[in-house]
Amino acid sequence: MNEFVETLLSLTWHEPRSSYDVVIIGGGGHGLATAYYLATRHGITNVAVVEADYIGSGNSGRNTTIIRSNYGIPESIRFYRHSQVLYDRLEDETGCWIMHATKGLIWLAHTESAMRAERARCQLNNAMGVETVLVDPVEIKRLCPQIDLSGGGRYPVLGASYHVPASTARHDRVVWAYAQGAMERGVHVLQQTTVTGLLRDGDRVVGVRTNRGDIAAGTVMSAVGGDVTTIASYAGVRLPVRTHPLQAFVTNGYSQGFGPIVSDTELLCYISQTARGQMLIGHEYDREQSYSRQSSFQFLQANAVKMSYLLPFVRNLRILRQWTGRCDVSADFSPIMGFTGVDGFVITTGWGTWGFKAIPAGGEQMAELIATGRTPEMIAPFALDRFAADHSMADQGSTGTR
Amino acid sequence: MLIVFCPNCGPRPVEEFRFGGELPSPPESITDPAERDFDQVWMFNNVAGIHTERWYHDAGCHRWTTVRRDTRVDRIVEQHVSLRPD
Amino acid sequence: MRAPERLWALRVVSTPEALDHAHYEGDVIVLRIANDEAIAIGAVHAELTDEHAIVEVESTFVGWDLSLAEFDEIVHRHVEWPLPAERPALAQGLVAGLPLKFWIDHDRVLMISSNGLVHEVVDRLGVPA
Ligand SMILES: Cc1cc2nc3c(=O)[nH]c(=O)nc-3n(C[C@H](O)[C@H](O)[C@H](O)COP(=O)(O)OP(=O)(O)OC[C@H]3O[C@@H](n4cnc5c(N)ncnc54)[C@H](O)[C@@H]3O)c2cc1C
Ligand SMILES: [Zn+2]
Repeated sequence: MNEFVETLLSLTWHEPRSSYDVVIIGGGGHGLATAYYLATRHGITNVAVVEADYIGSGNSGRNTTIIRSNYGIPESIRFYRHSQVLYDRLEDETGCWIMHATKGLIWLAHTESAMRAERARCQLNNAMGVETVLVDPVEIKRLCPQIDLSGGGRYPVLGASYHVPASTARHDRVVWAYAQGAMERGVHVLQQTTVTGLLRDGDRVVGVRTNRGDIAAGTVMSAVGGDVTTIASYAGVRLPVRTHPLQAFVTNGYSQGFGPIVSDTELLCYISQTARGQMLIGHEYDREQSYSRQSSFQFLQANAVKMSYLLPFVRNLRILRQWTGRCDVSADFSPIMGFTGVDGFVITTGWGTWGFKAIPAGGEQMAELIATGRTPEMIAPFALDRFAADHSMADQGSTGTR
Repeated sequence: MLIVFCPNCGPRPVEEFRFGGELPSPPESITDPAERDFDQVWMFNNVAGIHTERWYHDAGCHRWTTVRRDTRVDRIVEQHVSLRPD
Repeated sequence: MRAPERLWALRVVSTPEALDHAHYEGDVIVLRIANDEAIAIGAVHAELTDEHAIVEVESTFVGWDLSLAEFDEIVHRHVEWPLPAERPALAQGLVAGLPLKFWIDHDRVLMISSNGLVHEVVDRLGVPA
């Protein structure tokens, strides 16, 4: 039997009610985790998660599953570290196997300036209790014997920062674990239900309009990934977000074990091995904004070339599948969580190409915000009004883009 | 594949160009000048639909061109858009 | 096929009208790379009606002189975009990942790259160094 066919899930599907305490738009990781923590931490179960397609059909089921906290600003390091800790406990807490595996992440540097940046990253991470250490080429070769330290003669490796607790987990199992945990406690997950507008009472948002009818809500949360600009526009909220495609591909199986995750801060590509032995390869996002999920040959070509400089063995592999997600990239490359200035309407966005790792912490914190009506201290720096207050959380260098 | 039309060089694959982003255009409803400035700096229209945007022909004539593109299907619906008011 | 030769040219930035009516001294090939810019290969002097025109010596290009047969056999298959039909004509864009220009005449093609990219052109297209 295929180990990836989930047989242990017990999901009960419901018809929509006319009203809920909380309606969450988007059945990706962030929407479902928020529902799960509302139910488990706050006893709020009169909740619907409204999903246009099937759960996990967005970026949460399309990503390369890297979970790390080696960020470049203290507020982010603390938040993502907390998310790692929640991930560590998730299998025990939910009883669902999410195939969580700690692998360590090697962030390669090819220039002195990149080495300086990684040195600074290590110091900041360690000061925040996150284990990230500077490693030299000899140590890199020990961690990853397949690497060509000359970078194909073009990109010699000077060193790397090694983020010890980095891990991966099976993405749709994470989605299912949160969905099941929430649904067991009474949350409704409404698939094939598209939000086409917001219900207003004066300035307040009081529900959602869907292709299956109107649904009233005490609080509406948007967790729709790359489609956030459209949903926010229904509430008249302007966002510092651009929607960019992000692509990835997998090869056929590589017969040896490949232990760590390897990422290149200058070539802007990264690789890890899946549980099936395939090599999973990603890249920075496409430069132009787009909502189409078209994949491009140019992406494959550019990436295959770069990867084969670093890891010559990939030349002998074949590409099996290629796909694209639609990412909500914020102007300062940090997430946007919390109140929007419109009563009854809260938001979690700006997850861009980096939000899978954040699903547990993002969900937990947004659940607390909805339940208490107050912004939890941990996510206060990530509020939407930071842009107007001139407190942008600029940290592009930690997102693997340039 | 996305094809961009360069007025100097002709239709070319997108890889020849650098993306210059959407033209900032705060909505008419924002009237306060300071708020318009803020919107212009930070906010994006980011429409799922027709997007007015700039491209730089890096591999050819080294000139900017403005097009309208449908971001849902990645097709240019109007090329060589003039930015000069008539 | 011959090795590439250094091209001596003038780079002229001016108004489109002035460029349309410019006169160059010598046996020149004028590449109109944009409506307001031209590269006049072989020119030593440019006469323009535009007093604000910028005229500079341009010596960073090299050119391969190819017969049509050589162009068809070696280079054309790397060009992934439509070439102009008229002759002579300028074509410029990415070829095998490199920014190249072609001056396509009735019987010959001048393939132009910047000097710094010669080794890449040789590597990727298999033309002489
Ligand atoms: C190729 C790729 C690789 C990535 N790699 C990583 C990585 O290694 N590590 C990492 O941390 N992050 C990574 N990311 C980013 C990560 O996947 C996302 O940030 C994260 O999954 C966002 O989750 P979400 O729940 O906010 O959005 P999504 O999972 O996209 O969910 C949004 C949901 O909303 C639904 N929706 C949209 N509009 C409507 C509507 N009108 N009505 C109802 N429902 C609607 C969609 O159908 C979708 O299911 C990657 C992304 C991609 C595309
Ligand atoms: Zn051009």
